[in-house]
Formats: sequence, C-alpha cells, structure tokens
Amino acid sequence: MSGITGTPVATQPAASSTTAPHRPRKEPRISTASQDRRGPTADCTADIAGGLTFDVRLSDDAAAGQESPGLLLRRRPDLSGETEEIRLPLAPVEDARPAREGTGLVLRAALPSTVQMTEGRWNVFLALEGQEPRRLAPGLNDLRSLVDRTPREGRTWLGVRIPYATKHGNLSVRAWQRWPHAEAGTLRVVDNGLVLNGRLHGARLDTGARLEARPRRAGGAAGTVHVEVAVDGEEFTAELPYPPLAAHRLWDLWLRPAEGVDAVRVARILDDIPDKKRIFTYPAQRIELPPGAEEPEPCTATPYYTLNNDLAVRVDPVSA
Amino acid sequence: MHISFLLHNGYAIGGTVRTTYNLARCLAEQHDVEVVSVFRTRERPVFDPGPGVRLRHLVDTRGMRAPTDIAPEHALPAQVFPRADGKYPMYSELTDRLIGEHLATTDADVVIGTRPGLNIHLARQTRRGPARLGQEHLTLATHSRRLKLVLRAAYPKLDALTTVTEADARDYRRLFRLPGVHVESVPNSVPEPDVSPSDGTSKWVVAAGRLAPAKRYDLLIRAFSQVVAERPDWRLRIYGGGREHDKLRALIDERKLYNHVFLMGPTHPIEPEWAKGSIGAVTSSLESFGMTIVEAMRCGLPVVATDCPHGPAEIIRSGVDGTLVPTGNENAVASALLTLINDDELRRRMGRAALADAARFDPAHVGARYESLMQELTGRTGRGLHRTRGSLLSGAYAVKDALRNTAHGALQSGRTA
Repeated sequence: MSGITGTPVATQPAASSTTAPHRPRKEPRISTASQDRRGPTADCTADIAGGLTFDVRLSDDAAAGQESPGLLLRRRPDLSGETEEIRLPLAPVEDARPAREGTGLVLRAALPSTVQMTEGRWNVFLALEGQEPRRLAPGLNDLRSLVDRTPREGRTWLGVRIPYATKHGNLSVRAWQRWPHAEAGTLRVVDNGLVLNGRLHGARLDTGARLEARPRRAGGAAGTVHVEVAVDGEEFTAELPYPPLAAHRLWDLWLRPAEGVDAVRVARILDDIPDKKRIFTYPAQRIELPPGAEEPEPCTATPYYTLNNDLAVRVDPVSA
Repeated sequence: MHISFLLHNGYAIGGTVRTTYNLARCLAEQHDVEVVSVFRTRERPVFDPGPGVRLRHLVDTRGMRAPTDIAPEHALPAQVFPRADGKYPMYSELTDRLIGEHLATTDADVVIGTRPGLNIHLARQTRRGPARLGQEHLTLATHSRRLKLVLRAAYPKLDALTTVTEADARDYRRLFRLPGVHVESVPNSVPEPDVSPSDGTSKWVVAAGRLAPAKRYDLLIRAFSQVVAERPDWRLRIYGGGREHDKLRALIDERKLYNHVFLMGPTHPIEPEWAKGSIGAVTSSLESFGMTIVEAMRCGLPVVATDCPHGPAEIIRSGVDGTLVPTGNENAVASALLTLINDDELRRRMGRAALADAARFDPAHVGARYESLMQELTGRTGRGLHRTRGSLLSGAYAVKDALRNTAHGALQSGRTA
C-alpha cells in the first residue's frame, strides 16, 4: 500500500489566491446514513516527549478499497485568515485492542514530537479517498504521560499538544510552540499581592531577571510594572504587589530572564489540561492602596489563566 | 431470550444508564436485547448501548419547552407512575399510557425495570407472560416512607427484585413480605477499562462523581489539607459537576488549597483520568453501590472509602485492596491517605490487589448471574399461581397500609430504616 509508510508532510499556509480560508464547522453534521451511529472516533495516546498517536477504528466497509487513508490536521484560521494542514498516513495496527464495536480495522497515525505545529487549535479529520475529509470524534485520550511533564533539555524548541473534545463533541488538538518557555508553578495569593514560582526552560536566568506585568492593550512598555525575581537554577520566585496594578484592568505576566534579553510569556502548558481557565482559579483579593493615594475606586485583583493558558491578573471594581 | 429494559432516560449521563448498558451489551451477546427509554433528550446517547442492543424511546423531548408542546396529555399528572418517586414531575398521563401500551403488548420474555417508579409500571401494567424483574439501584433505607408504602404494595407482583448490595437485599427480605418474589443482590458491573492500569507512581489522588452533598467532597477537601501539610508534593483532582461546585470552590480557596486541589468538571470517559492517579478517594455519606470505587479499582487504584451504607464494605477488603474508614471522619480519611502516600510499596501492592479483586465485577460475571436468574424465572412452572397469590397479597397490603396511613400515620420510618 503506497503512501502508508510515508513521512508526515506539513503543507505550507494555503495560498490565499487559490484557497479560501477554511472555516471551522459550526455544528457536527450528522450524516443521515448514520443517524444513530457515532461517526468514526480516534483514541489519542501521548508519549513522554510530546508525540501523539491517533488510533482510528474503521468498519470493514469504510476501509475497503482505501489505498492511502490519512489523518488531516487543519489549524483553525488565525486573524489573518491563514490556515495550514498536516497530513499523516494512517496504517493498519497489527496488535490492536480487541474491537468492542464488533469487527473493523484499527488504523494508526503518529504525530512525532519533531513535527512543528503552529500555536493554535487544530481540527482533526479522517481523509479517505474519494470523500470529503470527515471530522473525527474523540475516543479515549490517554494523556497520563503529559501530567506533570518536564521537557527534555538540550532542545531548541518546545512543542506541546493536548488533544481534547470540543464543546460540539469533535476532536481537536491544542498546540503550543514556545522556546524559551516560562512555566508557571505554584501561585500563592498573599497579603496585597501574589507570589509566583516557576521554571524557565531554554534560557538562563541571570542578573537583572525580573517578572513584568504589562497592561494589556496599553501599547508599548509604558505602564509596565516589574519586580526582581529570586533565582535558584532554572526556578524563579517573584512577589508581585497588587497596588501598582490598580491603574489598569488586565495585566499579562512576562519573565525577563536577564537584563537586555527578550521577555518570555509566563504560561502553564506542561500538563494534560487543555483549558486551565476554569480549573486553575485563584481567590480575588482586595487591593489595599497606601494611605494618601488618590481617592480610587475600590477594586480586587485576581490571577487567572487566559484562553491560551497564559498567566494574567484581572482587576475588577468592587461591586457595591 | 428476548429481554427488554425499561429505562428513565437512556440519553442522559448517569450511573443507572451506564450500568444498564454494561449489562445489556453483555446479554446481547447471547440474547435479543432492547432498551426502552421513556424519554429521549438528545440526538445520540452519551454512553454507547453496545452492539446488538436496540435503543428506542417513548417520548421525545428534544427541543420541547412546555409539556403541551409534546402532547396535551403530557401536561396531566401521572396516575401510574408514583408521586413518591423523585422523577414524578417528568411523568404524565402520556407516559402512563405509552409505558402501559408497551408493557401490555411486549413480546419480551423478561421485562426489567430500572427504578422504583418504573418497577411499579412493570408490576401493574405488564401483560401476563413475561417475567417481571425489578432492579433497585438505590436502597430501601433511603427511600421516603411514602415510596416504601407504594413499593410494599406493588412489589409482590414482581417475579424478582434485584438489589446492588446484599445489605439492601436483606432489608427487602426483612421488611417487605414478598412471597414468591425472588430477591437477590447482583452488583453493578464495570467493564475492564480500555486504558492500561495506573502504575502507582504519580502523586495524585483522584475522586469522581456528582458534586452533590451526599458525596461529602467537603470532607475530602478538609482531609486533604492535612495531607498537604505533611506531603505538599501530592495533589487531588475531583472530577464531576454539580450544585456543590461553588461551595467546594470557596472551601478550597479558604483553606488555600488552590495549588493542590482541583475541580476538574464533568469528564467523559473517566477511565483515563483514574489511570492518571495513584489513589482513589470516596468519602460519601451514602453509596447505594459505589460504582466509582469499582471503576478506580479496575484502573489499578487502591481506594480509601468511607464505610457508609451500603456499598463500600461489599466491594473493598480493607487493608488488602483498599481502606475503609469511619463515615464522616476527616482525620481517618487523612490518615488512611497518608498511609498509602508514605508507603510506595504498600500502595502498589494494594493497587495490584484492587485490580485483581475488581475483576469479579466484570460484565461477564454479572451478566451470567442475571442470565441464570432470568432462565430460572422464565423456566419456572406454576408462575400463574404465584402471580395470582402475589396480586391478592399485594391488594391486601395496599388496603392495610392505606388504613394504617389514615388511622395511625402508617409504617414508621424507624421500622424500615
């Protein structure tokens, strides 16, 4: 069977003149032929290095006559409307688990950790010959090797991919590609501030290392608040006081590893949880301003993770 | 055999749906199996009923706002489905009629009810012929007095009643007069998970279930703050959604456990999540069976569970494949967790024992017990006699209970608790 053992091919962003941006489908289309049957599903297993395998179970009928079935990953278009695709060959698995769903064929595609994936959300399709690519549904995701992950050192980039079920019940993969990367660890809310522990990968912490809070959408470096960090090897600890944050509503946290070096976004991506926002939450705390400050509106500060799992702080007026 | 299950809503997420499908799937390997779902709320069922299992519904509520959108009859209160069953508000004259028509015309050899209200339908509306098997997924002790009265009157008309624990079966035998009714405990089944078991090396404790008061996750979180004080490298994930969410969130924040305790939200399938942990925790005040205990054990986790009525003690061999601790005792939960956390060898040994011991809940075993029970029921001679006797008796009880009810305030809950 030709094509099945080929290497993954990453296609470049689709040329806008010939290809309109792909729009993610709103609702899973239910084909009338399978009104009460689920569409094909993929079981995903993550390995320790960040690679993924996809096991797709096909009925004998669906698999019949397929010379080079493939798995298609298509990134949801970004703001510019650009998208890109990765196509992986699907090959039969010999030692597949006994099929619960009766007979059929298990096909496997591997997404090695060495394939680069642009940061974003990638929809996963089954591409059979003579058919439109069909969105896959999530099966069993075994992501235990991603829990408490420590990336291998000596690499030049860090790829994170977490498969997940969308709210419409489809399979997508959340991808990050960062290097250097500042991983947020424990975060304690203290009196009038927060204490953040984290670990920097891919750069050295040195003199002048600092944590920066940048007002979102403020433009430029104006208004940035920064604090010194304590360094212990790759680990850093910083205490960020809340009072200077009262001036803006949203703050993004960055780590500058050393004086004169580019800052790195602080994020939490080294585990199995695609969306941190609702799971990693922290208590809101009243910002106590020093006596003599201008009569400000009373407000609270709450650390949180953005939809991209970046660490931020939100300032809210206290509702009366 | 043709076997027909009657289920409240086969399109929802829930323990009864899951365990019904596990059993149906297994029985379907040898028999003709259908599941009749009274309601249909989704396009597709969340859990897969399994190959060969026919799923159909009686009332389709998708996209309906008011009962009258479905049928005027659906706005009228149910007469057959008992008021004392918690799902009563969803039932109506329409469901009375449709369930009745189904049971009066079914060509099944065995009909199986899966909750008290549906067992009443079975007892009252099944045509002569099919064996009537009522399943009790909750417990007699936790039923309201009103429900007990209704069941006491109707259950003599069943051929068999299955409970999920021996303790509950004993209650039925002791507190109800059920002549000719075969009362037997058959545990819920849990299939072998499709993920490999936990290797016991991760530093995570896992709990899963609805965030409901009876699950006592508040107790688990308090106990876990003692764990964190000694072993800050261990953390806790609680999977599930429910109305206690905000309270539990507030407790986590108040105890400053937000780096150690995580509310993960509803998750399906759950097996890969168990496999990420090394210890399971169940701290409920009530577990009619304790499905999550078995699920965790089947993923190789030793479970620390409260010895609450009725399930846990019939699942866990304390000190061998898990630990039972007194119900409601925070210190005991914390110390049992720490014992397993601080002894890697003990934890892994108990995890292996849990994996082996939980195999007895495999659908193949549980299905075989149901199969022999059903064969006995359908092969029984003189069933007509039992039927008549049961009906007469139950009629007599109904009258007696009704009299007591008006005269003395009826069956004392103390007698049946």
